[in-house]
Amino acid sequence: MQPQEAEHGRNSRKFNAAFAIWTLVWTLTLALARFGPELLWNSQPVLSGIAVAVNLAAGVGWIVATIRLLRGLDDLERKIMLDALGMTLGVGWVMGFGYVVADGAGLIPWDISLGALPALMGVVYIASFLIGKIRYR
Amino acid sequence: MKNRISELRAERAWTQADVAQLIGVSRQTVNAIETGKFDPSLPVAFRLARVFSLAIEDVFSDGE
Repeated sequence: MQPQEAEHGRNSRKFNAAFAIWTLVWTLTLALARFGPELLWNSQPVLSGIAVAVNLAAGVGWIVATIRLLRGLDDLERKIMLDALGMTLGVGWVMGFGYVVADGAGLIPWDISLGALPALMGVVYIASFLIGKIRYR
Repeated sequence: MKNRISELRAERAWTQADVAQLIGVSRQTVNAIETGKFDPSLPVAFRLARVFSLAIEDVFSDGE
C-alpha cells in the first residue's frame, strides 16, 4: 500500500500556506481600505474605491483558499472545523440579531461599531477551534 | 465503537504517526480513533483494515 500521508501532509501544508497567505493579504488590504482614505490619499473617492475593490478581490481569494483548506482536511480535522464554524455562525447570528432588536427597543445606550460583530466571530472561532483540538488531543 | 488498533500497532511496532502516514490522516486523528474519542468514516475504517491486512470487523467492533 502506498503511503498516503505524504499526500495528506503535502496537501495540508500547501493549503495551510495558501490560507495563511490569503488571510494576510486580505487583512493588509482591509487595513489599507480602512486607513488609506484618512492617512494616505485624503479620502479621494477613486482611490478609496480601488482600495475597497482590491480588498474584495483579496476576500474572494481568501474564500477560495478556505474552501480548498476545508476539502483537504481529514475526518477529524473537518469535524473540529465544522464544530467551530457552527459555533461561530450561531454566536454571530444570535448576537447580531440580538443587538439589532435590543437597539431597536432602546435598550442599548451606546453605539457599537459594525466591526465588532466580525471581531467577535473571529474570537469565537479561534476559541472553538482550540477547544476542539484540545478535546480530541 | 471499539477497536484493536493499539494492539495491532504494537504487534507491528508501528507508531500512531506510522499508521497516520499509511492511511493519509493526521496523527491526532489516529489517536482519537484509537482511544474511542472519534469514530472514523467508512473509507478511513477500510484503509485502517487494509493497512493491517485484516477484515474491517477484525479491527472494529460495535461493542454490543
